[in-house]
Amino acid sequence: MNIRTKKHMYKVLALAAVAPFVLSACGGGNASNSGGDASKLTLLDYYNNEPDNTIMKGAIDKCAAEVGVSISREAVPGKDLIQKVLQKSSSKTLPDVLMLDNPDLQQIAATGGLAPLSDFGVDTSGFAKGMLEAGSYQGKVYGLAPTANTLGLFYNKKLLAAAGLKPPTTWAELKTTAKALTKGSQYGVAFSAIATYEGAWQFLPFMWTNGGDETNLDSPQNREALQLWKDLVDSGSASKGVINWSQGDVKDQFMAGKTAMMINGPWQIPALDADKSLEWGSVQVPINKPGQTPVAPLGGEVWTVPQTGNKAKQAKAAEFISCFTKDSTQLSLSEARYTVPTKPALAKEFVAKMPTMESFTEQVANARSRTGKLGDGWPKAATTIYTAIQLALTGKASVGDAFKQAANG
Amino acid sequence: MTSQSLQTAGETRIRFAGPAKSQPRRPRVRFDRETTTKVLFVVPAGLFMVLYFGYPVVKNLTMSFQDFTTKTFFTGEAPWIGVQNYVTVISSNLFGPAMLNTALFTIGSILGQFVIGMALAVFFNKKFPLSGFLRAMLLLPWLLPLIVASATWRSILDQDSGILNQFLGTFGIPAVPWLTSPSVALIAVIIVNIWIGIPFNVTLLYGGLQDIPAELYEAGALDGATGWKSFWHITWPNMRPVVSVVLVLGVVYTIKVLDIILGLTNGGPANATQTIAVRSYQESFVNFQFGVGAAFSNILILISLVFAIIYLRANRRAVDE
Amino acid sequence: MATTHLTAPVNHAAAQRMKNIRTRSSTVLGIIFLIIMLFPIYWMINASLQPSGNTLSASFLPLNPSFAGYEKAIADQGKNLVTSLVISLGTVVVTLAIAAPAAYALGQFKFRWISWALLAILIAQMIPGVVIANALYAAYNDLGLLNTYIGLILADATSAIPFAILIMRAFMMSIPPSIIEAARVDGAGQVRAFVSIALPIAKNAIITAALFAFLFSWSDFLFALTLTTTDEIRPVTLGIYQYLGTQVSNWSAVMATAVLSSLPAIVLLVIAQKYIAAGATGGAVK
Repeated sequence: MNIRTKKHMYKVLALAAVAPFVLSACGGGNASNSGGDASKLTLLDYYNNEPDNTIMKGAIDKCAAEVGVSISREAVPGKDLIQKVLQKSSSKTLPDVLMLDNPDLQQIAATGGLAPLSDFGVDTSGFAKGMLEAGSYQGKVYGLAPTANTLGLFYNKKLLAAAGLKPPTTWAELKTTAKALTKGSQYGVAFSAIATYEGAWQFLPFMWTNGGDETNLDSPQNREALQLWKDLVDSGSASKGVINWSQGDVKDQFMAGKTAMMINGPWQIPALDADKSLEWGSVQVPINKPGQTPVAPLGGEVWTVPQTGNKAKQAKAAEFISCFTKDSTQLSLSEARYTVPTKPALAKEFVAKMPTMESFTEQVANARSRTGKLGDGWPKAATTIYTAIQLALTGKASVGDAFKQAANG
Repeated sequence: MTSQSLQTAGETRIRFAGPAKSQPRRPRVRFDRETTTKVLFVVPAGLFMVLYFGYPVVKNLTMSFQDFTTKTFFTGEAPWIGVQNYVTVISSNLFGPAMLNTALFTIGSILGQFVIGMALAVFFNKKFPLSGFLRAMLLLPWLLPLIVASATWRSILDQDSGILNQFLGTFGIPAVPWLTSPSVALIAVIIVNIWIGIPFNVTLLYGGLQDIPAELYEAGALDGATGWKSFWHITWPNMRPVVSVVLVLGVVYTIKVLDIILGLTNGGPANATQTIAVRSYQESFVNFQFGVGAAFSNILILISLVFAIIYLRANRRAVDE
Repeated sequence: MATTHLTAPVNHAAAQRMKNIRTRSSTVLGIIFLIIMLFPIYWMINASLQPSGNTLSASFLPLNPSFAGYEKAIADQGKNLVTSLVISLGTVVVTLAIAAPAAYALGQFKFRWISWALLAILIAQMIPGVVIANALYAAYNDLGLLNTYIGLILADATSAIPFAILIMRAFMMSIPPSIIEAARVDGAGQVRAFVSIALPIAKNAIITAALFAFLFSWSDFLFALTLTTTDEIRPVTLGIYQYLGTQVSNWSAVMATAVLSSLPAIVLLVIAQKYIAAGATGGAVK
């Protein structure tokens, strides 16, 4: 090739090499929501599956009509919500109303991307303390939740009755009951010890009830809780498969009769009820020593108002959230979705309508938020917890070392 | 081989085809028509690549040198921290095991996929009734959405009630803790990845086999080369370009594998199936440390790059032969 | 393998019978391989016919099939299947249009920068999809390409084009340049030589590349999720997530959807496989 062609080639290559840098400098859109009338709002949530999708749509449309706005809604799969939020954040296209899973709120609020609800005069009184904590960052409330869920102990009435046993209330009883119910292909108890935040979530009731804490993971109380799980698996009362089961898998095992008891949440109730031959009951999570109260983690989604730069829309969004978290909405959503209203004052009325939710409603009154103490430091603690569980249950570390080792990795 | 002839032929052509304004000395003419047309063949592809890949590559590279967190997405600020992310990555406890697992996973998968793929491709090379239909059906594993494939395999590999252990049980083999034992989990994940990768290998290798003229086999058969000999002396040498593409692409794709590992084990049990790709994902989307995640993925790209350069060297040598 | 016609007809019939047995045993062997390879697919179908959507209570054969999952899948996913088909076929067209000329050029022309080009293409393949998706979201948002067919087609082409170039190039390298020569000497221009000579010879390569472009696009989830914000354009991979919630999932519908969505793809693949025929280059040299 001659010099002239070479020169030309180099020019082209140089252009091609520079182009990406130019593009990346231009990158980061500037489309924003400012302007446009305040009666059209956008909303993002993760209720993409049925029946939640239809239930939430109904509730959203109802409040939209009440507040006098029209809402265009986007529902994404749960695991992809944060990714979407971040994408929209960087392209300045955050929705006017944003639903977040409560443990993520502190992270997102810390970015400055959310507006405090007090700016718009939203009334935050009457909500359960744990839920308000979860929805707050640095003392200001950024998100409110209409409903909450938690964990409890489900048991198969027929199997327990056949063995002449009552549902356990202490850890010791849990161990003996589970052992007595383990025969053939049936295990006594099942829980989720999977290597994700779900595993950490399932461990919290045992950790907290025993007095342990997420601020100091390598404590004797936490180790006792971990020892309980290890004992259940080692003695054969719980399957080794728990380290790979999600809560959905645990529910499947329970419904297939492969386990007599399970740790799970009330959202599974519609599926359990769909099988007419299955008689189930639920109690609060067992305590270790007398005098302890069962403490379980708070689940549930909070609704927030992102900083979109459009004050009028934000005000309308705040109004929407007030409507969405008021008493009647809480009750109707909770009844439809088998969750618990977040205003303790509604508990009595709710249990009267939904007696099967009694143990869960009691539990929510004592429930704690995951981010209450650690704020946006929770993800790291959660990772340490589930890693420690995996190390201990697979025998790669002793219970004494598990938390230490997990914190290092 | 043919490079010489093409070169001289091309130059000859240019000299003849040049229009009247051409003077053999003037370089400008050489860049007209002929070369321009040739370059135009690649311009659409080049443009596409720059637009769709250029920006992400640069972005990923710069992100790995920044303290990129969730806050950055909102404010756009990402303080420059130099190589600190890379230091964090390399000094993390999981880095060594993840590298080892990545190597084992890649080598195991490629070996399995390629050998089985080649065997099946050779088998299907002859014509027999239903061969076309069966070949198409072999692509099914690749058609499945990964979420469905991993859910199905999770139920097959379940220690207590999975069909595989039940099957092995009929031969008296005790239940294998496929996904629950740190020592076995990586093997299980490799098996599933091989299963998913076989269609890719079979299809490409089969296409390559089809392009080998039948006359070569006939000539070889006359010389007594049949069966294994014909494979070694006729098939294998003629398949070189296709085989090398299959292998290098296999490595590039396998190193990136993420969804199937997440779907089967989430990197567990006890980090037994952590690979660099899984680490990158978890650092970015579970721990929200995007700079660290980008550093992990750049290390991955570096490994792929080394492999690609080896491939290109080998490729050039083959062409020069 | 040459059969001689000089021997008596009896031997010929025997030879034919031997050939039949050999080919038929190949078919049997092929079916056995397929059964082993596709057992997980069968297991998925089994799961789709269980009311619980999983095989915990299932026997080896689905003796009591429940079609609830299929009813749901058919009711919800029809439109999504069509969307997936449109996008996948579009990706095939775009990919071939862009990659075939490039593969031909990189395989047959003598550019000094071919190694660099190949390196760039390989590097493109190494980038994790999520990095590209995030970058594309910002760009598409500015350009208004979100929720469009063409946007998704071009995005899906990112997985297909580099791969298609590499694969087709490998095949195109084996086209003897003497054939192209002959065409050029007869007065054909570069483009004509490409279209009329190279393309037909490289039929196997093109069909293989088209097949993979289709498969990449058909199974894409990441771009479908990232580059759409409404229900209008929803490929079936995204549609499956309708049944997978954060807490509650309907696996029988998921499995049923997976089974149903495989059907049109399989039909297309069977048709395509017929065209990957032998000896495409062989005859041309003579």
